[in-house]
Amino acid sequence: MHSPPMPLASASLWTTAWQQLRRNRLAMVCLGIIVFYALVAVYAEGVYWFYRLRQQTPPYKVVEFESRFAQPSWRHPLGTDSLGRDVFRQVVQGTRIAFEVGILTSLIAIPIAVLLGALAGYFGKRVDDLIVWLYTVFDSIPGLLFILAIAIVVGKGLLGVCLGIGLTTWVGLCRLIRGEYIKHRDRQYVLAARVIGVSDWAIMFRHILPNVLHLVIISFSLRFPGAILTEVVLSYLGVGVQGEPSWGIMISDAKLRLWQGHWWELAGATTAMFFIVLAFNLFGDALRDALDPKLRTAEAKTA
Amino acid sequence: MCCFRPLLRVVAVLLAAMGSLRVEAIIPARQNAAFYGSTERIRGFDPVQTGDTTSAAAVSKVYEGLYEYKYLARPYAVRPLLAEALPEISADALTYTIRIRRGVRFADDPCFPGGKGRELTAEDFLYSWKRLADTRNRSTGYWIFEGRIVGLDEFHKRSIKEKVRYDEPVEGLQVLDRYTLQIKLTQPYPQLIWVLTMTYTFAVPREAVEYYGEEFLNHPVGTGPFVVADWRWRNYRIVYARNPNYHGDTYPTEGEPGDPLEDAGQPIPFLNRITEYVVGDDSTEWLMFLSGQLAASGISRNNFDAVITAQKDLTPELKVRGIRLYKSPRMYTTYLGFNMDDPVVGKNQKLRQALACAVDIEKWIAFYNHRMVPATGPIPPGVAGYDPAQPSPYKFDLDRARRLLVEAGYPGGKDPQTGSRLTLTMEIGNASDPETRQAADLLASFFDRIGVELKPSYNNWPEFLKKLERRQAQMFQLGWLIDYPDAENFLQLFYSKNASPGPNHCNYANPEFDRLYEQIRVMQDSPERTAIYQRMAGLVVEDCPWIFLTHPLSFGLFQPWLKNFKPSDFPYPNMKFYKVERHP
Amino acid sequence: MMAYIIRRVLYVIPVVFGVALVTFILFNVVGWNAASQMLGKHASPEEIAALQERLGLSGPLYQQFSHYLWQIVTLDFGRSYATNQKISTLILNGILPSLSLTVPIFLIDLLLAIGIALVAAYYRNTWLDRSIVVLAVIGMSISYLVYILVGQYLLAYRAGMFPIWGYETAKYLLLPVIIGVVSGLGSGVRFYRTVMLDEMYQDYVRTAFAKGCTQRSVLFKHVLKNAMIPILTSVVLSIPFLYTGNLLLENFFGIPGLGYLSVEAINSADYPVIKAVVFVGSVLYVFASLLTDICYALVDPRIKLR
Repeated sequence: MHSPPMPLASASLWTTAWQQLRRNRLAMVCLGIIVFYALVAVYAEGVYWFYRLRQQTPPYKVVEFESRFAQPSWRHPLGTDSLGRDVFRQVVQGTRIAFEVGILTSLIAIPIAVLLGALAGYFGKRVDDLIVWLYTVFDSIPGLLFILAIAIVVGKGLLGVCLGIGLTTWVGLCRLIRGEYIKHRDRQYVLAARVIGVSDWAIMFRHILPNVLHLVIISFSLRFPGAILTEVVLSYLGVGVQGEPSWGIMISDAKLRLWQGHWWELAGATTAMFFIVLAFNLFGDALRDALDPKLRTAEAKTA
Repeated sequence: MCCFRPLLRVVAVLLAAMGSLRVEAIIPARQNAAFYGSTERIRGFDPVQTGDTTSAAAVSKVYEGLYEYKYLARPYAVRPLLAEALPEISADALTYTIRIRRGVRFADDPCFPGGKGRELTAEDFLYSWKRLADTRNRSTGYWIFEGRIVGLDEFHKRSIKEKVRYDEPVEGLQVLDRYTLQIKLTQPYPQLIWVLTMTYTFAVPREAVEYYGEEFLNHPVGTGPFVVADWRWRNYRIVYARNPNYHGDTYPTEGEPGDPLEDAGQPIPFLNRITEYVVGDDSTEWLMFLSGQLAASGISRNNFDAVITAQKDLTPELKVRGIRLYKSPRMYTTYLGFNMDDPVVGKNQKLRQALACAVDIEKWIAFYNHRMVPATGPIPPGVAGYDPAQPSPYKFDLDRARRLLVEAGYPGGKDPQTGSRLTLTMEIGNASDPETRQAADLLASFFDRIGVELKPSYNNWPEFLKKLERRQAQMFQLGWLIDYPDAENFLQLFYSKNASPGPNHCNYANPEFDRLYEQIRVMQDSPERTAIYQRMAGLVVEDCPWIFLTHPLSFGLFQPWLKNFKPSDFPYPNMKFYKVERHP
Repeated sequence: MMAYIIRRVLYVIPVVFGVALVTFILFNVVGWNAASQMLGKHASPEEIAALQERLGLSGPLYQQFSHYLWQIVTLDFGRSYATNQKISTLILNGILPSLSLTVPIFLIDLLLAIGIALVAAYYRNTWLDRSIVVLAVIGMSISYLVYILVGQYLLAYRAGMFPIWGYETAKYLLLPVIIGVVSGLGSGVRFYRTVMLDEMYQDYVRTAFAKGCTQRSVLFKHVLKNAMIPILTSVVLSIPFLYTGNLLLENFFGIPGLGYLSVEAINSADYPVIKAVVFVGSVLYVFASLLTDICYALVDPRIKLR
């Protein structure tokens, strides 16, 4: 065991934070909602793959032309749309898309942010200059337009949306990580590791990273709702998910018949979206307060 | 809480300031003779670039051509507009002599000496048509003259490599005197008279083109009834005003029974001002129409059954408000095209026939709320060659579709070699429109019933065209709106020499069809020609390069205060006949 | 001091260059070339090639990039593929409508948010504060689309209080402004409340309380004054985004600003237009952040570059 003593803070940080969170009843309710939605998303994913692998048309796509624009009933809890498809099933599938977007964009943005932030903060000098330049450039480009531009250039669909959101939203986290690495790189345990010849790579990702991991967790929970809202807007503008029922597409469809009082499609999609976004927002706040109260202002600024 | 009062006061002041701030005081109080309508984004006012119907409608308000369709007459007939009379045609049908009206003046514009509009002469047409042939003008309409006028093709080809001068003589385009024009053709061109009503051929003054240069498209100077009064926000609104220099014309005195004739013989235009908004969104446009902000509106599929009763009449609540409905057939065919170069669908006639039999056209039409009639071939109703009595051999029949699918080598929709489902990709041109998306889902559900999977691929319009031009599409959904009332305009879509990047996007090639096409190309209208049209349509129906879907009907609504409205397949210049009485 | 400012000003050059590089890579390298849409369906390959040469889209990438840099220097971004209009004119014409929408939204939002945040800070940890926070988060969690659709349908169409669509008189702006204010209020309130509470727990505030200052005087004399720095930063840095307008509101209500222009351009793959709008927006942001940094340096001489 050549590894020098690691700061003990991290283990207890997680325990205390969890204890604090558990006392926060609102946060627990929100966590419950999130878990529920996640289960729904997993279920929807199962439905999707089940029918895809068996090469059948999934029930949420089944067109029942005769019963279009049906009001909510026992058979169709949220009514049917203009092709007679069940709105409730589509809302469930929309949850899947929302989670896919939330997770995929994080999988793109967070590694970029952590890697670049760590490199910049740890090595400093030229590397730092380059990375700071890079994120200053990305930060300068107007957000939604940049996302739209990437999505349109890459191609419409889930991939375009995720790349668009993922490639534009890493700057805030990257800046925070860089700041933390600058603080940590001159700490005792890092200097000690360097003296006994631990490689830079190992120091950065085995020694320092655990100490800044809470930033990643917080960032994940706070970016999730943003990604969902953005996806909806993109789908509404026609560059989003294609051929699958996303909430944005449902809202855009629902708009056409709103003037006649056909409210259920709009209500279904927006209500489903509202609760998951709300739960993530509130839970993210609580999580941040528990893990790192100082972040509040910093995060708010980059939001 | 007293400390927050100043803050509230600031907010109150701000709100008040907003209320008094007038962003742009262009629209006067609503008044008679002002028309409010909707349009789409246009590419500018250069006649040579008006490939789409919206631009054609805009250009036709400002510019004019030699001929136009009679407003009320059906079937369509042509009357002189800037020409004095119909052309004098030589016995071999190769020389057209056209005399133009005297005393017609262009609108006043700084491009003319002294700012006063100059008189129109025969030279202006020569100049305008050479502009159409010059590739530097990015014209989209040269096809109307391509291969037809003596010497013009050479001029066109030369303009790709070098800058051509418009003074250079072209043998087939001659001016006999100030008011007389002569066209020499390479072969008879029976459609020429229709072509001369199209916006591509409209007269533009050389002075304006040279004065405005690249910005010519924003500064139209024409002889038409209107001039552009405001077009600052290009994608939001176009405002036209009456052209004080207009040469004057009168409302037609005869029409079909039921046509509006209260203003027969009255001088046109009746409108002083036209404001057209680029609304874009169907549901917004509909709400605007209902609240009286627009004078006319189409009916989107989604609103149709709420607006029109089962008897194809207006619902009582709209009738009470005096809103009127028009409906008329359109010379329009919608279809699903196959790329005949595609290894899967292109080389497998049985497969195409099977897919055609799988399309439940009744349901498709029900989805569009019965706004269309089923198409049995390429030729739409209203032109010679349309034959409603001839049923399509490949109409909806699921059993037959399944049998054909077996013959095609895909029993049950499965590829026997790989055992997986046959999956086809269909390109669609407009992803942001919910209606297109729903229609694609419906088509997919049709093919699903015979086990074939259809994947819609959404593109924006330029991407879509690109795929067609590069022959990358496997299947595509498209329609063809007639350019002039002659079935030849539809049949050319299957001529092998018109294959992509030409308009034959399915890249259909059939020597027999080509031979017949070359034959009818130079034939005048006659029963023999109509018989050949029908034979050609039969060839296409059997080969199934298209799945023929529908011929849409035109449905629209207009407010009680809009008068003299008559729907048309070529409605571009018709606003000069409209009249607005008593705006609420 | 002077040295810092000069260094900071010079730093604008690599950042603007970076923005140019990113937009170039996005549109000229990754994105396909849509120039042929200018020519329509019947264009021959030679015609397309000739046009591309005139547009600076042929030749190796470094040549195209230098052509683009030249466009930037001369502020001439060429013409739109879809409508053939001069892009610089399109942008200039779009700025006023965009600002007439975003500036009122921004100012009203700012004042309301700070006002409400002050109330929340004043009554911190009471039911009033807590319900303000919850309401703010609820407001943030509702999609923009819902505000717009419900606003247009209920207020404009059903109640007839506002015009449904258009940009004719100030009346036409009322509904979009109200929707913009309401939808942005939640996050604003939350941010300013946090900023103020952070300030509340500073030592000097405790001292002030200990010395017997009243709540109100502390809040206004000390907290608000000190909270001004983060507030001003966020304000200055938001100003450039006013220029790009509001994509959804403009698109939905037909306000002919840059947001409307961008959405149209995106729907028709009109790359030169998107490229130009993105680039100009970025440059404005670069200058705004330059401005804040210089102001900081003037206020607080200890600050050095990073």
